[in-house]
Amino acid sequence: MYIDTLFSIFALIAIAGSLGLVLFRHPMQSALCLAVTMISLAGIYALLSAKLIFLLQLIVYAGAVMAMIVFIIMFLNLREKDLPEERERFTYLIGGAVLLIPVAWFMIKVMKSIPGVKNSIVGNGFGSIKELGQVLFTNWLVPFEIISLLLLVTLVGAVVLAGIRRESND
Amino acid sequence: MTNLDIIMVIVRVSISAFVPLCFLAVCVTMERRVAGFIQDRSGPNRAGICGIRAGGLVQNLADGLKLAFKEDIISEHVEHKFLYVLAPIISMAAAIISFALVPFADTLVLDGKSYVMQGIPWDTGILWFLAITGFSVYGIILAGWSSTNKYSLLGALRSASQVISYEIPMGLAVISLLIVYGSINLSDIARFQGQTWLGFIPMWGILLQPLAAVIFIVAAFAECNRTPFDLAEGESELVAGFHLEYSAMKFAVFFMGEYVAMFASSAVIVTLFFGGYNIPFFDTDFLIRNIKPVAFVLLVILPVFMFYFAKWIRRNNRSQYLRENDPRKAEATIYIRCFWILIAIIEVFLLAILAFAQPDTAAAHLLVALMQICTFLIKVTLMLFVYVWVRWTIPRFRYDQLQMLGWQKLLPLALLNIFVTGAIVVALG
Repeated sequence: MYIDTLFSIFALIAIAGSLGLVLFRHPMQSALCLAVTMISLAGIYALLSAKLIFLLQLIVYAGAVMAMIVFIIMFLNLREKDLPEERERFTYLIGGAVLLIPVAWFMIKVMKSIPGVKNSIVGNGFGSIKELGQVLFTNWLVPFEIISLLLLVTLVGAVVLAGIRRESND
Repeated sequence: MTNLDIIMVIVRVSISAFVPLCFLAVCVTMERRVAGFIQDRSGPNRAGICGIRAGGLVQNLADGLKLAFKEDIISEHVEHKFLYVLAPIISMAAAIISFALVPFADTLVLDGKSYVMQGIPWDTGILWFLAITGFSVYGIILAGWSSTNKYSLLGALRSASQVISYEIPMGLAVISLLIVYGSINLSDIARFQGQTWLGFIPMWGILLQPLAAVIFIVAAFAECNRTPFDLAEGESELVAGFHLEYSAMKFAVFFMGEYVAMFASSAVIVTLFFGGYNIPFFDTDFLIRNIKPVAFVLLVILPVFMFYFAKWIRRNNRSQYLRENDPRKAEATIYIRCFWILIAIIEVFLLAILAFAQPDTAAAHLLVALMQICTFLIKVTLMLFVYVWVRWTIPRFRYDQLQMLGWQKLLPLALLNIFVTGAIVVALG
């Protein structure tokens, strides 16, 4: 089925991106690899019929958060000579890999114990904006409102704080 | 999938991918001609093929060829060549994809099957536009950063922080719109605006949400890095901003990406605030039911319009001084003949529809869809003209003024608008 093929492609890109994140030396390249991982994760969400999560992943993680990180790295304007020398890189790499073996073994066991389900597109508006909104605004209304208020307070607070600091500088 | 399904997929995807690219020529020509008009000069009118200048359109071809055959230089000091090449590709691709969910006609019904007239027939509408325009920041940042040039870096810093900060008022303006429309699907939004209020006022977004319209349009100007928000380019201080080090076709791709982004954002503005594909006062059902009168009216209007258009071509296409056998007059005759032939072909089709078509058949649906596509493109062209008009009228902001406008004026206004809209919608039930 083409869903399985797409899933393998997205998964491989995501893994390649996260490998790049760890292995590239320059922070800009690492950050872009992370962005690639975020976008391919969005693809996997889309395969799971979670349209809204797909778009939020694109807007929030791939768009806003990663753009912010890339922006800050650009702001620092690091050059090759500014990067620290990592002499014992491979020792640490091998040590870390050895330490992770039990965790990986455990994860593989967990994965194998999960019953296999066939990949298919779920119908009946599952994961669409309307259905998700109805669940959010009936079963989860109070937490949703509190979180949105919290975010609004952060936004307004950031603007106010920035305004105060500039006035005191003048 | 039947053959019709496959054809419709191809048609919709090619419209949504190639119309923005074709509008590049319109945008660039309009930009230059309007600039010429506003600054009291002619604009490009010399380049021609065998004397055919097409009102400056041929100049685009000449410029494109020049850029395509120019030497493509990547300076020695560029360290990350891959990212340097990737940057223009990202900004162009993001610009083209962002148009994919904008409907250019009402849902087309053929053989009892309905086809949503968008590049990607999804219902997530405006969120997709917000998501994809967010990606254009990567192109700017990568270009400025990988150029290893102080001017480029400063341009990218300005441009990226401007795009990121204007995304917030834009998103908040969209929220108050969504409260009114009750859907994020751009097709639903366009259909909603096809209704009329009191029978004669079209329920367009600009009348229902004037404040949101102003905020969204200002933010869209800033997102496109257009004047008065084009500090990223700021020729007088930053030479050219983030694309300073780019030459030949790589620069051209940035340039085209900017215009495609302009097209996409005017398409979204038209869909959100100016009724989208709707022909004012006539909704789709009405047009399909009365296809014969509509075809008859078109049949009469088109030659009359063409008559005045031909007069306009004659008036504008002549030499500024007296010449014997004025070649520009001969040129105008050729244009007018071409347009008359085009009109004649359309008239034949309209006559066929008038003679044979019944209401609510495939021919009627297709004619209405074509009319709606034309309406949509005319509206988008007018919006593009506003972009150009503003660019050549209003001077650049100072950078701190730009950030102040975004954070201290547009953001509180957008929040206030959400509260007021919510209160009114709740009060009206």
